[in-house]
Amino acid sequence: MNKQINIIVAESSLLIFEGLSLTINRALAPVHIIHADSLNEIEKHLISLKQSTVIVNPSLIQNNLKLFTSLKNDYPFVKYIALVYAWFDPRVILQFDAVINISDSPDSIIAAIKKVTENDIPTDPGQNGEILSERETDVLKLLASGLSNKEIADKLNISINTVITHRKNISQKTGIKSAQGLTIYAVVKKIITFDNLP
Amino acid sequence: MAEAVLSNPRIILLLEHFNIYVPLYEKTIADICNEKHIDTKLFIAFANLYNGVEYTSPVHFNFDQVNQIIRFLKNSHTYYTAEIYPDISSIIREMYTSNGQKEISMVEEFFNEYFHEVMEHLNYEDEIAFPYMTSLYEHIEKDMPFTESTKYSVKDYKDHHNDIEEKLADLKNLLVKYLPPTNDQQKRRRLYLSLHELEYDLNIHAIIEDMILIPLVERMEQSVKQPG
Repeated sequence: MNKQINIIVAESSLLIFEGLSLTINRALAPVHIIHADSLNEIEKHLISLKQSTVIVNPSLIQNNLKLFTSLKNDYPFVKYIALVYAWFDPRVILQFDAVINISDSPDSIIAAIKKVTENDIPTDPGQNGEILSERETDVLKLLASGLSNKEIADKLNISINTVITHRKNISQKTGIKSAQGLTIYAVVKKIITFDNLP
Repeated sequence: MAEAVLSNPRIILLLEHFNIYVPLYEKTIADICNEKHIDTKLFIAFANLYNGVEYTSPVHFNFDQVNQIIRFLKNSHTYYTAEIYPDISSIIREMYTSNGQKEISMVEEFFNEYFHEVMEHLNYEDEIAFPYMTSLYEHIEKDMPFTESTKYSVKDYKDHHNDIEEKLADLKNLLVKYLPPTNDQQKRRRLYLSLHELEYDLNIHAIIEDMILIPLVERMEQSVKQPG
């Protein structure tokens, strides 16, 4: 999947910003890097960008924890990386998804950013902590392609009762009970594609 | 009465179902009930449901209240079919027009089918169940033997309700938990709040039918004169 990565960097030293941008661009193309000076500016960028990762110097946050928390609540899909070159209160550092230190090697900085941005792709099946078991996924796939409980049982070589138990568990985990609702769920989760719909 | 609405905005919809409209001035609940020929006990019982009070201690209703209950339910039907369902349908349409997401078109199809099922159920009530109940009451009133064949079954009725509420819950879950993110948060919020408003009213609607109307009709069936 070709996905534009947006990274907002909030760091007051231009030298460090430029150095970091260069490091990132060399390793991870194409990346759109935006500079920000304050939390308010970060928010301004977040409004226009759908998905991004934010790298912040924690000094911007330590006296603005409240604003930072509300920013995190308002944009729950955004990941935050601390860019550290001094000692900070661990309670501040705990607010971040990852930490990079200015003395880290370029490779480990890139690895940290990669790890955070890759976890960030919600449409990628399998990476988003699938909650259904393998067997439940099999049942759902057949159900979504229009098969009855009996047909699913025959196809998977299990009893109808087992199919019903799987369906109950699927409904309990997803909150969705009807076959049509579960079909939409299966499409969203890429368990089935549009072409396979009945 | 105004205080009841001010302390719980949902009461304004209850009032509409009773054909009571704002402004309410300084009138008390009793004033308005007298004016509109609504039994106060019945009004309070329904208002309690809208206030979230569980219906655990059944109120004894008289046979002559059946028409009042049916009028209330029919007004709710009008609210569903002419207002809230079309509203929801048009929000989903707007969402699809603005983002063209295939998942939304599936939701639209799901909702339209569901809406169709609901319409069938409501028509069944309006055209078969309610006239049956009204006729039953008239026969008791006139002390006439009831010869009409029983066209409606209480069990059918209850099954329908479960189905209606289940699919609504599915829609809410899909919207809140799963549909891929888009840039139309406002439409999503409007949709979610409308689904919630509908669900709230439908729940109470089902309680009134299952726990108040049906037991009343069952008692009526026992006391109506049998032919022969």
